[in-house]
Amino acid sequence: MSDSSRKSSMSSPIPAAAGIGLRFPHHRQVLESLPPVAWFEVHTENFFGGGSVRQTLLNVRRHYPLSLHGVGLSLGSAEGLDAQHLQRVAELVRDFEPSLVSEHLSWSVLDGEYLADLLPLPMTDEALQVVCRHVEQTQETLRRQILVENPSSYLHFAHSTIPEWEFIAELARRTGCGLLCDVNNIYVSASNHGWDAKVYLSALPAEAIGEIHLAGHAVRTLGSGRVIRIDDHGSRVAPEVWALYEQALRLFGPKPTLIEWDTGVPAFEILLDEARSASGRLQATRSAHACAA
Amino acid sequence: MPALLETQRSMRSRLFAPPAEDRDASGEELFAIYRATIVSALINALRLSYPAVLRLVGLEFFEGAASQFVGARLPSSACLNDYGEHFGDFLLQFPPAASVPYLCDVARLEWAVNRALHAGDAAGIDASRLASLDDKKLPHMRLVAHPAVSLLQFKFPADLIWKAVLDQDSEAMACIDLQSGPVRILIEREASGVQVRRLDQWAWELTRALALGEPLHVALEGLAVPSSEALNALLADHLTSGRFIEFSCPGDAHP
Repeated sequence: MSDSSRKSSMSSPIPAAAGIGLRFPHHRQVLESLPPVAWFEVHTENFFGGGSVRQTLLNVRRHYPLSLHGVGLSLGSAEGLDAQHLQRVAELVRDFEPSLVSEHLSWSVLDGEYLADLLPLPMTDEALQVVCRHVEQTQETLRRQILVENPSSYLHFAHSTIPEWEFIAELARRTGCGLLCDVNNIYVSASNHGWDAKVYLSALPAEAIGEIHLAGHAVRTLGSGRVIRIDDHGSRVAPEVWALYEQALRLFGPKPTLIEWDTGVPAFEILLDEARSASGRLQATRSAHACAA
Repeated sequence: MPALLETQRSMRSRLFAPPAEDRDASGEELFAIYRATIVSALINALRLSYPAVLRLVGLEFFEGAASQFVGARLPSSACLNDYGEHFGDFLLQFPPAASVPYLCDVARLEWAVNRALHAGDAAGIDASRLASLDDKKLPHMRLVAHPAVSLLQFKFPADLIWKAVLDQDSEAMACIDLQSGPVRILIEREASGVQVRRLDQWAWELTRALALGEPLHVALEGLAVPSSEALNALLADHLTSGRFIEFSCPGDAHP
């Protein structure tokens, strides 16, 4: 995270370094102190309006590479994408020229209502066709590649026929989209559904991985005694997730890595500390790759 | 195998209308996790838009009212800054809120402030274009208001209550006369932030009619304008402050 890595030009790619998910409580501090963070990511929908909020993002963009991470496009909606929503994303992409644009493998819009969560999809041929169609429509409208993030889930659909990792690899193959590999989500879902997280990681095409997400999760015991992990982005990255991240780096090589924290957003210094932990592992991967080369 | 749309519809109804007799307790617990995430995200959106209402009624009451509102009305868009427009109307019909008669007025004001905060950017009318306007056409001019502009009228002094509550100024709150009569407010966004200001009745009515797209001469009908100087000063202020972003006259080529 040298100073030069912060001087971005409009076309600069996100460096394979640690970024931080920028949330409202830190806007002022970040703009006043310009901390040594390699890049920032924001939630696309929070910046649909104008005024000081938009001005803040313009100022952030002036100093750092930017990633726009959507939470509301609902790529998995059976009814089709909300054209107005997609248009607003397109305008933001046009105005901010972000280095990365991403969305989720999930659904949240039905019959004109927005169910404010990233809801799971059944892993079926029909769902794969629907998501492929919507990723293609999005990439055509934005005139660029997007990254699609693997979900975290607690529910399993009995009629799913495709393992999630195969679904995602096939999505990337058919649409040319990149992948946002959320390592915490893989850990959470693998733990909830009894999957092998290493099998999941190994099934993803390394060349398609454009970004990695890291976050904390909660552990809850249900009435039945079953232990569930919940992707609440409300704590530090768990040690098991750091270990899985190291495996991901061995498989994929160094990739831009984001620290996310959305529930009970802590002091910015905590996020910097988490970003340093990711940076150290990225550096170790780079050294290992250099030795191997 | 159920079609995707069918799966999504059945999931939605399971999320918001949990089965009365639960045959699958652990399944319901999983749905409850999703339900709690959705409800808390939407209540949080309402908390951000209605900070003065939250302070007036307290967190517990607010969350109770907000969760009932959320259950009755989900967002129509994934932009949560746009969510909650009708929360004030909901509070008006919400019996437990009846003891705070001005709550709805404060909520409506807060919504306008939220709207002003998040409205898209738009440039005000270019004065040089207006200067070239034929004097005979002026009375027929129609204006388009900036998307951040709202004109609201309240039974209670909602502006004073709103400010005192957000400033946590109990002295100012104690001085507010709830019976002081209706207030007419202009809410807009300036470079320094959202502004909430009172207008005289004639100025408010004229500005509101113009914002609704009435031609100037119609907007002026029956108004008790104090003087032509006052009228000119108001119109000049509207135009220089960027409160209006477009104008048209009959026969104009431009919109």
